[in-house]
Amino acid sequence: MTQDLARTRKLLSFYPKAYREERGEEIVSTLQEAAEARVPRASLSDQISVALYGVRVRLGLTSETMFGKALDIAAIPGLVMGAFFGVYLLISGDLPVVSSRFFYPHFGPFLTVGPLFYLVWILGVAAVLEWPQYRRRIAGVCMTLTIVGELLAKLAHRNPNIWEIAILVSLGLPSLLAPDVYVTRRRVMPSLIVGLATFATLFFVTNSRVNPGFFNSFYWSGTYEIVRRQPYVDVLLLALFAVLWITKRREVASAALILSSPWIIVGVAYPMSLQYLQVDTLNAIALIAWVVGMALIVTTSRYRPRPPASVDLSALNSGS
Amino acid sequence: MIKEMREPTFLVLATLAEGKKHGYAIIQGVASLSEGEVELKAGTLYAMLDRLSFDGVIESVGEEIVDGRLRRYYELTSQGTTLLAEESKRRVKVSNIALRRLRFVGGFA
Repeated sequence: MTQDLARTRKLLSFYPKAYREERGEEIVSTLQEAAEARVPRASLSDQISVALYGVRVRLGLTSETMFGKALDIAAIPGLVMGAFFGVYLLISGDLPVVSSRFFYPHFGPFLTVGPLFYLVWILGVAAVLEWPQYRRRIAGVCMTLTIVGELLAKLAHRNPNIWEIAILVSLGLPSLLAPDVYVTRRRVMPSLIVGLATFATLFFVTNSRVNPGFFNSFYWSGTYEIVRRQPYVDVLLLALFAVLWITKRREVASAALILSSPWIIVGVAYPMSLQYLQVDTLNAIALIAWVVGMALIVTTSRYRPRPPASVDLSALNSGS
Repeated sequence: MIKEMREPTFLVLATLAEGKKHGYAIIQGVASLSEGEVELKAGTLYAMLDRLSFDGVIESVGEEIVDGRLRRYYELTSQGTTLLAEESKRRVKVSNIALRRLRFVGGFA
């Protein structure tokens, strides 16, 4: 029993110190009572749930925090953004190259796994809207399939490139981390608007009059085009964040910043990975502003002890 | 503030409508009310208690040591009582309509 108690207490190390001091003993007592009444398997799942909640509290990913609320808002739009990004890649990247005889048989949907990735995300979004309670699992499946598929695809050929995959996978993170596993129908329309806006922006950003046709594809110049024109997109995203923050719509502002993360990070990471490209100053400034914004969100979301409640021990003790 | 009340939240509040209860008693109450259908995990319970306390629906009203274990008790606030009453009425209203319709089509005695 003492060993069990010690093991149960170890679970508290997942929680921040302030939370541990406030609720630690109470949680241990509840776990002990539950362990005595339940079968061992149920007791283990109790312990896992306590550990996972501890990680959430430590990271500020609970329903009460700014970070948690922002992730809840960003979850479905993130997945929809991923699906529209997939549609964009299909139209701009895969279809043009398959129609080119010049590159046959080196490119095309039968030689790349790209279209399968996009299909996974499109089906994933459809599934989440139908069964919102499984959002976390569905997002996990989409992300895992994309990462595993990319690793396998790398053995055979080069595309789709790692930056597309990084953006796609990052867009699933809010769904995986958001504390609320439910979604209401009210979020469908804003999510679709976000997806369409992403699609439109990508077309605008990667549109090139110099290289029409398949040279316009994301495989060839898309990432470069996004990075080259990213400053304008970055400025728009950061201005949106600032306006929403100043007008006290801070949860929505934080969600916008979270959704802009992969684009801003890739905007700096991609040129850094290539010797012949330089990091744009505006991109670097955008990244610094993003770091400051995220730090603001994370700092405001740290656990803070609540003021003690009024306690009337005599009434409780006399009744027990 | 709670915008829409889900089943586990409703069951927790309904359990607390009986009076102040500590963590494990709430888990037992929820299991009993749902006839074993809903089995709250400890981590889920504390996530819910934190959220409901934050929303001002429940509050901690005291603690005691029983068999060397700390028990913290929770009860509904006046806001929580109102919320539970409104949600209960809404559910009864919907259930009554459903039952009336089932009688009408002869599928329910």
